[in-house]
Amino acid sequence: MIRYLRLYLHFLRFSFSRAFEFRLDFYFRILMDCVYYSVHLAFFAIIFARAGVVGGWTLDQTYIFVCGFLVADAIHMTIFANNLWMLPVFINRGDLDYYLLRPVSSLFFVSVRDFAANSFVNLVIAAGLVAWAIARYPEPLGAVRIAIFAGFILLGAFLTYLSRMLFVIPVFWIHSSRGLEDLYYTIDNLAERPHQIFPRWIRWAILTALPLAFVSSVPSHVLFEGLTIERLAHATAVTLGLFAFVVFAWRRGLSAYSSASS
Amino acid sequence: MIEVAKLSKSFFVHRKDPGFWGSVRSLVSREKVEKAAVNAVEFNVGEGEIVGLVGANGAGKTTLVKMLAGIVHPTSGDATVLGFRPWERDNRFRRQIALIMGQKAQLWWDLPAEDCFLLLREIYQIPESQFRASLDYLSGVLDVRDQLNIQIRRLSLGERMKMELMASLLHTPRVVFLDEPTIGLDLTAQRAIRDFILDYRVEHRPAMILTSHYMEDIERLCERILIMREGEIVYDGALRDVVERYARTKIVTAHLRKTGENVCADEQLAELGDVLECNEHLVRIKVPRTGVADAAATVLGRFPVADLSIEDEDVGSIVERIMQSKERMP
Repeated sequence: MIRYLRLYLHFLRFSFSRAFEFRLDFYFRILMDCVYYSVHLAFFAIIFARAGVVGGWTLDQTYIFVCGFLVADAIHMTIFANNLWMLPVFINRGDLDYYLLRPVSSLFFVSVRDFAANSFVNLVIAAGLVAWAIARYPEPLGAVRIAIFAGFILLGAFLTYLSRMLFVIPVFWIHSSRGLEDLYYTIDNLAERPHQIFPRWIRWAILTALPLAFVSSVPSHVLFEGLTIERLAHATAVTLGLFAFVVFAWRRGLSAYSSASS
Repeated sequence: MIEVAKLSKSFFVHRKDPGFWGSVRSLVSREKVEKAAVNAVEFNVGEGEIVGLVGANGAGKTTLVKMLAGIVHPTSGDATVLGFRPWERDNRFRRQIALIMGQKAQLWWDLPAEDCFLLLREIYQIPESQFRASLDYLSGVLDVRDQLNIQIRRLSLGERMKMELMASLLHTPRVVFLDEPTIGLDLTAQRAIRDFILDYRVEHRPAMILTSHYMEDIERLCERILIMREGEIVYDGALRDVVERYARTKIVTAHLRKTGENVCADEQLAELGDVLECNEHLVRIKVPRTGVADAAATVLGRFPVADLSIEDEDVGSIVERIMQSKERMP
């Protein structure tokens, strides 16, 4: 475990060195994500200008939900997104070869190798936004609940990564990734709304099969209503189940990996 | 160290009729064709041996090497490298092997090589003292000490290749796969890489498999070669035996004294064999091996010879003929 942590520190150092080299790109990406955050907050502000409650939540609760989503998204963008974007290319072009030679988990290597240093700045901004949303909440939420909320947001980012992997791994067999990527990004929109507004079967799907509700909707519920044993058990089962499935699918994918001819 | 038994790898490819309607038809149904990239190959490689793996493009060399490095799973057959099945990817196995691909980079493009080496030290858990000693030895032998802190993308192709070699050998692997390590390099860089590989072999005695399209790599580095043709090994033996067993001709070269005689007009010259070169100073003839003594005697008897040499056919040409031949090699 410590070894993997040390490896990750190397990845961090490399990524920051590289990001600082391309200054203009570094600042532009930060600006781009700030626009993205503003659009999200403005979207709900406009809705609440016409409706007092959405899915049982007030504007204050919705701000926490939206900012929670932005934090989870920033964590995903910082740690995993660059790696997952490149993975289909690596698989098809045979660039996985060197990863498979190393005496470390290839899944770890391909998933976290490229840390998006510019998104890390956005993560700080998103964390500031969620702190602002919690501070303006009219009732006291308590440090324990806020800590559990933060833990669930981290879990949400991890489950986003696992869900995304489900749409990348089939590239080992089907070789084209465009259709799968488009499908994922369509489904991924469900994470941007409170899960209680959806019909029952969609709710079930995003709480269990593809647990996008854990990105911010479930953490916000935990913050407002408290953590129950059932919810904790559900989160644990979903995380372990999905993780085991991704590891299994990755191994199957590697056995189908054909590399590329020289 | 490397034992391979009836190892095979097949890929499935789709066959599509040409043209637009062929594409439309392939949406509904397509013919799946099995292509054998490697077919029941068998060989062993021992410690300190450098085995050259040669074959035309598509002969299956790279697929074979990738199976032995644990990158690609075989379809059937078995192989062990250092006692491990490569495709099971045991970390103890991966710590002891290296694969260097001349056409693929492993180093981070925007970073200096030394930063990448530090990451590899962590990955392979190389003790600090061993790491420093390896780095010192490799950078010295390859003459790149001054380039260690320069970004990879700012290095020349030859320097990059040297860094790639260093990256692959820092952990002192016991088995090394070299897949076209000199491709695209100029002659000086090629020679430097070859010299380094020979030095490394003497120093560390690893088992090495080398694939290359440059016969000079093979001739300089390998005493034994495997020739692959359409996924099969058609020759496994000493490189020098290739000439003895498969050379059909020899080259007779006669340097002539100045006499003013027009030797090229002599009708008997063409009867000896293929005249490769003929002028007032020199005659070069390719003659069948069986007739080389007679040909030499005839040349000596008929022409004003100052010096005469008899050479074997170029080994590269023989290997090329074996690779392209449809016959089974005895």
